[in-house]
Amino acid sequence: MRLALALLLTVLAGPAVAQLRGVEVRVPRTFGYFLGDLVEATVAVEAEPGFALQASSLPQAGPVTYWLDLRRVETRQEGTRHILHLTYQTFYAAIDARSLEVPGFPLVLTRGADHGSTTAPVEVPGWSLGLSPLREVQPARRADPADYLRPDGLGPRLDPIPARNAALGLGVAGLLALVLLARDRAWWPFRPRPARAFADAARRLAALARGPESEAGYREGLLALHRGLDAKAGHRLLADDLDDFLARHPAFRAQREGLARFFAASRIAFFGGSVAEARDRLPLAEAGATARALAAAERAA
Amino acid sequence: MNDIRRGDAMLTDWRAAAQAFEAAVAGAVLGQERIIRLVTIAVFARGHVLLEGDVGVGKTTLLRAVARAMGGAYERVEGTVDMMPTDLVYHTYLAEDGRPRVEPGPVLRSSEDLAIFFFNEINRARPQVHALLLRLMAERSLQAFNREYRFPLLQVFADRNRVEREETFELPAAARDRFLMEIGMEAPRDPATRRALAFDPRFHDTDGLIAGIPTGLLDPARLGGIASAIQHGVRASEAIQAYVVALWEALVRPHEAGIRLPGIDDMAGLVQGGASPRGVAALVRAARVRAWLEERDWLVPEDIRAVFEPVMAHRVFLEPIHELHRSEIVPALCRAVFETVPAP
Repeated sequence: MRLALALLLTVLAGPAVAQLRGVEVRVPRTFGYFLGDLVEATVAVEAEPGFALQASSLPQAGPVTYWLDLRRVETRQEGTRHILHLTYQTFYAAIDARSLEVPGFPLVLTRGADHGSTTAPVEVPGWSLGLSPLREVQPARRADPADYLRPDGLGPRLDPIPARNAALGLGVAGLLALVLLARDRAWWPFRPRPARAFADAARRLAALARGPESEAGYREGLLALHRGLDAKAGHRLLADDLDDFLARHPAFRAQREGLARFFAASRIAFFGGSVAEARDRLPLAEAGATARALAAAERAA
Repeated sequence: MNDIRRGDAMLTDWRAAAQAFEAAVAGAVLGQERIIRLVTIAVFARGHVLLEGDVGVGKTTLLRAVARAMGGAYERVEGTVDMMPTDLVYHTYLAEDGRPRVEPGPVLRSSEDLAIFFFNEINRARPQVHALLLRLMAERSLQAFNREYRFPLLQVFADRNRVEREETFELPAAARDRFLMEIGMEAPRDPATRRALAFDPRFHDTDGLIAGIPTGLLDPARLGGIASAIQHGVRASEAIQAYVVALWEALVRPHEAGIRLPGIDDMAGLVQGGASPRGVAALVRAARVRAWLEERDWLVPEDIRAVFEPVMAHRVFLEPIHELHRSEIVPALCRAVFETVPAP
């Protein structure tokens, strides 16, 4: 069996040699490589016309030996020249300059024809690669182990101005947003000042007191004080609610007498149907005085 | 502030009678001055009253005391599930001679003098009975024994237990509207009153308590006349008329008056109806009586406020989804209405 295979190879070898014109491996240099270097090798195969490299016979990227990886394989054809660009990477940590053998590999050339295809094996020969150590094996003795390390490189000097300006700008924008939020939520210092309900009433009453006396004016004056009381109480205040109101707002207790007279007069004016009688009991000036006293108490409170 | 015209001595005399009536009832029913005042107002406004409250807070005692203090013919029935309208009108029985007899029932027994008809546990009676009662209250008349009976003096008092819901029938809206007031009654909160109610043996014997009340303080036959005199005697100024209309508007359309209640998103759809013109007329009637009792011959907003909730609350109908919580929503709505509408 083995004899038969040897015979077959001999028969096939004859024409194959005839079809191959030459194989050449070219390397930029065969020495001076360090750990991790990429090695570019170019294999040129000169063949008979019509032949092409069989893609499946090309070497696969991956580890070649324990110290060498094949990183990339590219092929091109120039007429009858078939060119392989091979990129190796060496991982050999040499401790002295030495030459290592890069193994060769087989390729197959094929030519297709109507009555079948012809193949021709090509043996790419191995080649040697000169590898060198990165540094001496035994460095000079140092007192401080830290001296074995190279000093850190100087960092580039950065310009702080743009970053500072951006921080300032964003800070100002943040404060502005906070102010707007505080205003929206009525936080300090935007807390709404308590409405000066009685101050408005006192102003209105003073304005009416300056004008001519009339029933409508008198009613309007009473209404102004009513609205002030409503605003202060938070709801509509009727005469019977006066005690309740004064219990809730002790600041106005001093005006109990005046308020009681005001409510009595207001009842007569609006519901008793006698503005004249109401005015006799409580002239508008007196209502104005009560409103002023209430406004003063309101400011003090 | 006695502004009642001096010449109108009758109103003054009657006010004294009303005060005596209130005092007599208050002697038997402790700590319910507000309820007694409302019932007095209803008596002088000639309106029917529905009392609502827990078991044992004194609803029945109060109404019995009122009936006794008032005087006049008095009838009482207890609402039951199997009660039929004819049970109110006719009394049927087998006589000694074995023949069936039909005689006037509770409503007809006192004939046309009937002054107080007291319907206990009204929500236990069936809608048929409510329908009869509706006519009795609205028209003060009844068809029986092939003729029409009229009850010019009639005033209906009813009470209702609000705890139990089983085997009860809710009053139809029309019947509820016929009640001048629907008064919610609660046990007094005052500790001294509570102690007296719990420990004083006088309050344990209800019959004895009622028997101790002076009777006949108000003459039912003359109440109609005095009620009419009060309605004509108490003035309502332009301002109070505007105020009542504004209250009415705010109650029916609270969202337009700017009223917001907590927990209710859709204020526009909250009030579905009710607050009828009859209700507002009743409100003014009751308020006038209150003004008269307070010795005024003109209305003030406080008069309206004092009677607003008992008169108006049961006439407001809410969106069905809120009906379950009406006992919280309607009082809150009434309060909000008064806190929103300006007076004057």
